[in-house]
Amino acid sequence: MAAATLQLQEFSGTSRLNTRGELTAWLMGLAEELGADGYMLLAVAYRNGRGEAKVIASDWSFDAIELAGAALLARIATGPLSASPGARAGGLDCANAPASDTIDGEQARFLHIAGHGEIFSLQLYAGLKRLFLLLSSAEPGAIDTDRLAHAQMEGCYVLSDSAHLLTVAAPADILSDRERECLAWVCEGKTTDDVALILDVSANTVNSYLTGAIRKLSADNRAMAIATAIRSGIV
Amino acid sequence: MSASRKRLFAAQGTGLPNLFGAAVPARDHAVTFADAARRARWIAIDINAEKFSLFLLSHSRKRRGLTACFDSDYPATSAETRLVNVRFGEELARRITVSTVPLWWPGADGPLSDINWAKRLTGTPAAMAAIAFPVTAERGPSGVVVFSGASIAIEADALYETHARCFALFDAVVRMGAVDQSGLPSFSKRELECLRLTAEGHTSESIAALLSLSVHTANQYLGNAVQKLNAVNRMHAVAKALRLGLID
Repeated sequence: MAAATLQLQEFSGTSRLNTRGELTAWLMGLAEELGADGYMLLAVAYRNGRGEAKVIASDWSFDAIELAGAALLARIATGPLSASPGARAGGLDCANAPASDTIDGEQARFLHIAGHGEIFSLQLYAGLKRLFLLLSSAEPGAIDTDRLAHAQMEGCYVLSDSAHLLTVAAPADILSDRERECLAWVCEGKTTDDVALILDVSANTVNSYLTGAIRKLSADNRAMAIATAIRSGIV
Repeated sequence: MSASRKRLFAAQGTGLPNLFGAAVPARDHAVTFADAARRARWIAIDINAEKFSLFLLSHSRKRRGLTACFDSDYPATSAETRLVNVRFGEELARRITVSTVPLWWPGADGPLSDINWAKRLTGTPAAMAAIAFPVTAERGPSGVVVFSGASIAIEADALYETHARCFALFDAVVRMGAVDQSGLPSFSKRELECLRLTAEGHTSESIAALLSLSVHTANQYLGNAVQKLNAVNRMHAVAKALRLGLID
């Protein structure tokens, strides 16, 4: 089989970061290049249907992260600001932000006081793992938006090569292949019996896979499990 | 034909406005497959590739694999697509679950000139040199866009841009697949509220209690939402609504 003989040949221009120090240095360099004053690399985990930020690396002060809180950071990262690669990123002008579902006036003012005049959220992918890079500047307009798209792809590549540093376990890792497979079919509207037929196992087995998935995703029921799975990019 | 492919093909020929160049998530837009193929062809032209193929990552039967979605011979399937899937499908599927770095492999005529960042799959040379861009839709499946041709050339500067365009293309294709035939009808505030609460794990009873409605009314709203989304049940409706960005 051809696939068995394939192997990867690493390039000399490899982008692998070996230590957390190198990760920090890379993020600092990137932020400086783009004209940003602050950065935060985070993953979002869903618990009880709500997103919580897991900060991987950041130059925000500990207090600022604590005050902002995991829920607000997750909302900023995943909300309307969030730009996938290939989409044009738009920033939030914290001083003049209109109240929205994502962030209310008080939270925007808090960010402004904490030194984040304008904030951007870039989605970064390392395979199926989804991470977010928040970049902020004290003065709105300081970040070079034309170069964000490049930085975003560079980020995808660098993080793909440095997966060992992204210590926050992706929820995708906690489900078994079978559990993920069942969940994916349920997302397509299949019933337990349908999935049993498709996978050629008994309905009880399907239910036990799904129960396992629901438990691992700390969901209350199927609907919540698939919502969590879709939000975290598992299916 | 796998379910995901069926779903994608269901959206063919809808005559909706196309999305050329629009990289921003556009929940009210959809493209046709012909449009998407044209868009992919433009990317191919820019990097001097002869063929392209778009694959979805599928998790079927214990094994990860690729499902061909469409390619440069649309509406037919090109020989390259089949060849890529047979030769590299399994390895590509394995790689793209862990890394978003582009991959390339040499053709019978020899390797591509070195491309920054991209990694080379070695082994049996394929008929044509190719470069593969892993892509993920914002709330949906992952896949890979493969361009092949004897004289592919990508400037180091253009690699990011080309990859970003592949992401935008894939996002449009996935949205198109999820939207089905005729775009979306409008949803009432209550219907969306009920869907959102369902996604948060609430049952009809608890939704009724939260919104001070009767259980029947809550069910009625959910039933409407399921119908409007052209879904078969509640689970399906929640999945579709999330992927379309109707609820967060």
